[in-house]
Amino acid sequence: MSDARLWLAVLVALPALVSGASYLRVDVERLRRLAVASAIAMLLAALVIPLSPPLRGFSIRTSALTQAPEGEELIRIDTLSGALLPFAAGLWLLTVAVTPRAALDRRGLRRTALATLLTVMSFLTESAVVLLLLSVASVGMFLSALADPAHRYQRRVVAVYLGASTLLFAVGVALLVGPGVQNTTIETVAMWLIVVAALVRKGIVPFHAWVPEVFDHGRLGPAILFNAPQVGAYMTVVLIVPRASPEMLRTIALLALGTAVYGAALALVQRSARRACGYLFMSQSALVMAGLDCTSVTALAGGLVVWLSAGLGFAGLARCVLVLEARRGRLDLTSYHGGYDRMPVLAISFLAMGLACTGFPGTLGFIGQELLVDGAVGVFPVMGFAVVIASALTGLAVLRMYFSLFCGRSGVLAHPSLRLGLRPREAWTFVAIVIALIGLGLVPRPLVDSRFDASDEILRLRQERMSGR
Amino acid sequence: MTLDMPSIPLTVLVLVGVGSPALLLAVLGIASLLNRPLPERWTGALAGSSMAIACAALLMAFVVYGMTGTGTQFLSYGAWSSSHEGGIAIEFLVDRLSLAFAALSTAIAGVVSAFSNRYLHREPGYNRYFVLLAMFVTGMLLVALAGNVAVLFIGWELVGLSSALLVAFFQERPAAVSNAFRVLSVYRISDAAMLSAAVLLRHVAGTDSLSLLFGGAAPSAALTATNATIIAILLIVAVAGKSALLPFSSWLPRAMEGPTPSSAVYYGSLSIHAGCFLLLRAAPLLEQAPAARLLAGGLGAATALFAGTTTRVQSDVKSSLAYASLTQVGIIVTEIALGWYTLAFIHLAGHASFRLLQFLSAPNVLHDLHGLEDAIGDHASADGDHLTVVRSDRARRRLFLIALERGFLDSILDRVVIEPFMRLAGLLTRLDQWLCLTRVAVAVDEGDQDE
Repeated sequence: MSDARLWLAVLVALPALVSGASYLRVDVERLRRLAVASAIAMLLAALVIPLSPPLRGFSIRTSALTQAPEGEELIRIDTLSGALLPFAAGLWLLTVAVTPRAALDRRGLRRTALATLLTVMSFLTESAVVLLLLSVASVGMFLSALADPAHRYQRRVVAVYLGASTLLFAVGVALLVGPGVQNTTIETVAMWLIVVAALVRKGIVPFHAWVPEVFDHGRLGPAILFNAPQVGAYMTVVLIVPRASPEMLRTIALLALGTAVYGAALALVQRSARRACGYLFMSQSALVMAGLDCTSVTALAGGLVVWLSAGLGFAGLARCVLVLEARRGRLDLTSYHGGYDRMPVLAISFLAMGLACTGFPGTLGFIGQELLVDGAVGVFPVMGFAVVIASALTGLAVLRMYFSLFCGRSGVLAHPSLRLGLRPREAWTFVAIVIALIGLGLVPRPLVDSRFDASDEILRLRQERMSGR
Repeated sequence: MTLDMPSIPLTVLVLVGVGSPALLLAVLGIASLLNRPLPERWTGALAGSSMAIACAALLMAFVVYGMTGTGTQFLSYGAWSSSHEGGIAIEFLVDRLSLAFAALSTAIAGVVSAFSNRYLHREPGYNRYFVLLAMFVTGMLLVALAGNVAVLFIGWELVGLSSALLVAFFQERPAAVSNAFRVLSVYRISDAAMLSAAVLLRHVAGTDSLSLLFGGAAPSAALTATNATIIAILLIVAVAGKSALLPFSSWLPRAMEGPTPSSAVYYGSLSIHAGCFLLLRAAPLLEQAPAARLLAGGLGAATALFAGTTTRVQSDVKSSLAYASLTQVGIIVTEIALGWYTLAFIHLAGHASFRLLQFLSAPNVLHDLHGLEDAIGDHASADGDHLTVVRSDRARRRLFLIALERGFLDSILDRVVIEPFMRLAGLLTRLDQWLCLTRVAVAVDEGDQDE
């Protein structure tokens, strides 16, 4: 027990340390070095949890925030969070390691540390109330990232959409934890409110319009950090899947599949690289949602794998766009930019991470999508066809972006004196992500087995709740 | 894993055959990712050795299989992704056809590898070329030996991606890049059709084992005539996309943007025949689906006629050779539809080897021709007449125009598919922007949005 508390303390203390240090008069580059070191340490600490089974049974249970007689786990480490914690740490490392120097400031580093802290805390609880509080905090932090006048409009868009989502979530949670809610119409209403809140947060059609807008005209860095961990998917797994009726799950899955195809199709035709990233994110995160809302163990495990592969691959891809923008300004996909020869590592990493997003063989994304289709095809063949179409379209969208951003021109759209190649810190981070995506794609057994265990656990919980009705 | 004596060496030999180019891909790929490409002489030697080892192993496997002669064998190398229900199993379906095609593929790839080593000497993309060639050979071997849909699809995808990236090999040229994207677009349709067939197969038969489609297993009761026909039609669409059959033929001349050795190995000999091979493997399925068989035959004959006409009016040697290849591919597909499987395979193997030679020698032939023309001070070409078999001048002119414009397939594709898709997508993008504007209901300063 004490060991688990120690590891949890480390996970929470590291981003808190960076956040605290950001208030001191430390040089920004030095603060970045501290953040990179903390993120690496956090990643290593988070990796201990899935590798050490005794740590995974830890929980602090309370009935203070719920009416359920058995209480709920306020803090827990289980098989599901075992892989999500290193994932969150990896996203933090990616963010602090490759953020261009020009975009680096103390407040930004503080925000990334706090956002990571909130994400990690979300992944450690099953309490609806705690999740609500963390959700309010993370939306507030995202809004603060858009506080400058240049992003006033995007701030309003986010405030309206995510404000509505948070409000619905709050009402849903209030109904859910209220007295005598179990097995009543109130629970159904509460569930629908939480479902809509999760759909808005995940950018599922028809509640999606804020996602491409924020990616395109908002600040891409905070948008990546807010969206890539997919806390909405976690809300779905913890709050919706165990309680929702089969019809509710089927409705969510259908909406998610529609979004997967819609996002992929629109990503293919965008002029702006940022907007294309927004649609790609919508498509990929919708696939996760579709998998999570399927009651097959294999499909659910597939959804959990796609969660990691799409999150990491997408975050890496979008970070590549940011790195390119730092060297070339805004990227338009209607023309060719060239430059492969001057930045081959970035080009290859971009392609590899994009292909991982699309489920290309040899990457983790392929394993996830294969499991998703395999599990769903018996009971829900529509999912199989939708995944196929979405995958074909996202593949095209990624290759179009790659060709436009790195090929088609003998020179490059940049001053010859400008150093285009990656710095070692950036190059190693991208290479590490590519190696993780391909390595886990070639040797997926440990991760896949752990995702099967997690999906077994989720469906067991669902079965218990359903049989209790 | 089957452990009876005769299958042990076969299992090992097939593993070495497939593993050798895969290992080459890993070594060259990691070096590229780390921006530390190997020196040319190492790359060339590694590629040559890898192809030689793969070819030798697969030829030995062919001999061992011929000696044991126990019918179709199913080699299983365990589960790749999962120990639970479902997941991806690494399985190969081995028989004379698959081993012969696999050995042929590695032999041709070996020849091309040796040729490319000199042809691309000091070319900036030398290392990239060999990475993609290794990816292609690995993909072809997986297509040839696949025992289930997942393995087949992995191979199919590797072939498709390497093909598109090699079309864009001279990536500083905008035309090469836009043509590569166009080629990839058709390949994605082909991929989607194949995966849809796989989804349907899993849904109706509860398995993705190819022994159900390719023979070697008892027919499943779930695979009714209707289901078999739909799956077969989806496979034919996949084949049509990959082998440039009508109506997907327009990508073929675009694919000639790549370097000559890659054009030779892809569009002269191996990749373009991958579809024919798949159809040949799926012969048991086609026999259950007469309508699909008719469709395949019709497509093959129409493609042969179209490509045969088109090849006669092309103005560059690579396009002319590509359409000549396509003519033969159309004929091979027709032979398969007619049930002449042995003839089809002999035709495929012979044509792949012959066309490889033609493609690889084309630059020399042109060089010699130009030397001859310089020496005589005039063009050495014929009288310029084309399609003289058509008597009527008017009909000949029309046919000439159609052939010259390659059947107007590109513009038809643009009008029927691409333009409506772009219009719809543009409309939806605007709708998304409008949703943001109206739902938020704020006065928008245009200047804000453009920041």
